[in-house]
Amino acid sequence: MDESGANRLRRLLVKAESCAGCRFCEMICSFSHEGRFSPSLSRITVIKEDRYGFDYPIFCRLCESCPPVDSCPNKALSRSPEGALRLDEEACSGCGTCVEICPHSALKMGEASKPIFCDLCGGRPLCVERCPTGALSYEEAEELDEGPIEAMKRLMERWGIHA
Amino acid sequence: MPRFYGYAGRILRIDLTKERVRIQELEGDLARGFLGGRGLNSKRLYDEVPRHVDPLSPENKLIFSTGPLVGTMFPTASRFNVSAKSPLTGILGDSNAGGHFSAELKFAGYDQLVIEGRSRRPVYIFIHDDEVELRDASHLWGEDVYEADEALRREIGDRRIQTAIVGPAAENGVKYAGIYVNLMRPAARTGMGTVMASKGVKALAVRGTGSVEVAEPGRFERLVEEIEEEIYSHEQYWPRRRMGTTRILMMANAMGFLPTRHYKSGIFEHAYEVSGERLADEYNVKTRGCFACTIPCSRFYMVRRGRFMGLYGEGPEYEAQGAFTARVGNGDLDLALKAIDMCNRLGMDALTTSECISWAMELYEMGLLTKEEADGLDLSWGNGEAILALIQRISRREGFGDILADGSRAAAERLGRGMELTMQVKGLDLIMADPRGLKGFGLGFAVASRGGDHLRSEPFIELSDDPKRGEEMFGIPEATMRLAYKGKGKLVSYFEDWCAVIDSLEVCKNIMENMEILPFKRAAEVIEAATGMRMSPEEVRRCGERIVNIERAFNVREGITRRDDYLPRRFREEPLKEGASKGSIFEQEPMLEEYYRERGWSVETGIPRRETLERLGLGYAAEELGLIW
Repeated sequence: MDESGANRLRRLLVKAESCAGCRFCEMICSFSHEGRFSPSLSRITVIKEDRYGFDYPIFCRLCESCPPVDSCPNKALSRSPEGALRLDEEACSGCGTCVEICPHSALKMGEASKPIFCDLCGGRPLCVERCPTGALSYEEAEELDEGPIEAMKRLMERWGIHA
Repeated sequence: MPRFYGYAGRILRIDLTKERVRIQELEGDLARGFLGGRGLNSKRLYDEVPRHVDPLSPENKLIFSTGPLVGTMFPTASRFNVSAKSPLTGILGDSNAGGHFSAELKFAGYDQLVIEGRSRRPVYIFIHDDEVELRDASHLWGEDVYEADEALRREIGDRRIQTAIVGPAAENGVKYAGIYVNLMRPAARTGMGTVMASKGVKALAVRGTGSVEVAEPGRFERLVEEIEEEIYSHEQYWPRRRMGTTRILMMANAMGFLPTRHYKSGIFEHAYEVSGERLADEYNVKTRGCFACTIPCSRFYMVRRGRFMGLYGEGPEYEAQGAFTARVGNGDLDLALKAIDMCNRLGMDALTTSECISWAMELYEMGLLTKEEADGLDLSWGNGEAILALIQRISRREGFGDILADGSRAAAERLGRGMELTMQVKGLDLIMADPRGLKGFGLGFAVASRGGDHLRSEPFIELSDDPKRGEEMFGIPEATMRLAYKGKGKLVSYFEDWCAVIDSLEVCKNIMENMEILPFKRAAEVIEAATGMRMSPEEVRRCGERIVNIERAFNVREGITRRDDYLPRRFREEPLKEGASKGSIFEQEPMLEEYYRERGWSVETGIPRRETLERLGLGYAAEELGLIW
């Protein structure tokens, strides 16, 4: 938190108009974390609406108020100084409450019945580094106020699509 | 430890007649011999669809394959092939598409999907990992591709499914209907959608949650990084990002091989108005990409003014763009976008549709077809209203549209005129490149295993017109000069082998072949790192050669011989009258003979020699062909 009290952290940002929806981020993410290629094991997930040419990656947004942390019955989730989620594997019972409750659908259940989520690759996110269109960046910013629904509305308005 | 790396290791067989689903193990020797994708399909088709099967009968099989690199971060490994005996051509049918369908099928755990028999009721096939369901699709029958896609997403309740859909054109038996993934990325050629609809299948809907492992992760990662760097620093990177394949139109016009008014000319006076440059400057709003593509070249466009204001979608690609502009003599880009959008929603190949319409227009202009015969339509060159009306009529098989719905060759037979003017080889119409201005491409059209198109060989290197390349690669400078004849047999057989490998690994030909990113040597390294199969570059090329030969054997078994390997007479007799290829005709004989010799096929008959097939491990095909011929 900075002096003004705003939740300024280095976070992943997305320019929805630049995302081509290629999902290379999903592949590099699952490969670097799990050694395998699988969207189900990726901490970033691209949602797509082909009809409107819309693509948008979903990931942990480092919200100041984090329902998964707050609602974990075993207090297994906490935040690193950089803001990323951390899991106490011992404490986690694998109940999935966090996966259910995250308003951004940023957590998934991994194969060991423990939640998986963006860990910012220890400060050098590979999805940003390898994004073919520069749609992702990692920079200091306040909490995002635009999610996929708002982004889609904004782009459709800009392009003149009336659906 | 998984039994396979790279591959999912499993084949899904669906017998629609018996409503039975079986999961089988991938045959390791087939993976090694045919790699995957197109190769695996062609081999399966040769083995399981005997000669003289009616393409629209339950005995035909519809086969989809992913590839060993699909579902990894290997750049552009997003594609699939779908193959069956073609209802349009009566020989090997096969089409390839990108998008996101193939990777999803791989994550569901399949290298290949074999659809057999015929369903008694309309169905869609829902594949969710190991669960495979044949679900009622009677409510979807008749819906266009967009409507069906939305209905499937709602019904299944998952917007992350990937779909492959046929439209009303397929249901109505148009012989060149495609199969549509991501709404507007069709496997369009040779009527694979027609075969799918004939089996009573409206769509595939796939959701896969599994994963793909590679044999040597560290080495694989290094290879991918190297390839990414090469792509990003390639001179074609930005033009492709900006325009995709639509960049070709102005180039084709400048070199005088842009098929205009049904190949009557090689230059189009409205080329700029319908160009990729104009699309980029005035229409495109966003870049889109296929799965794991690091050079996403697809474009989302919006028509911002005029009578088609508010039309939007993904694309177009060069072939469809050229097909509904220069080929039909139309200089109105908006109208072309509308025509392509209609073809996509109705689910039929824009290229073949345009061949049928432009052929009819030529007959009309020559006085060989009357207005009455054409349902009162004025088929003068470029008449937009007539073009849109004919698309609609073809899709419904109404009136004159019914005649055109079987392709130009069958239409000429039915009308009893105009056969000389059909621009097709073996029933598949030619693409948007005039062979008089590109001799190697032309030879490729003549001998291609699915009929007259370029994607079996695409010897793009001819476009460089650089004798040094020909000298380096083949010891023949003329081999890479576009108007020369010498060395074209070597050129085309080399590029055919290469394209067969690219199609079987299911990577993008535009990048891996055209941009020369994945030559045989590097392909061998990638195959080993991904699958663990150790192969020399020569062995990789031999896989390509094997695939070309099994496809030829399939066609020979159906009656194809040398006499079928010819381009339409126009190219052989009428010189181009204007532009940078002015005065050129297409002289086929010397090239064809060089090609057969290079291939180890009989120069007299065009049939592979026994020793050629045996050398490639295809002795069984030699046996079978020996019995017939």
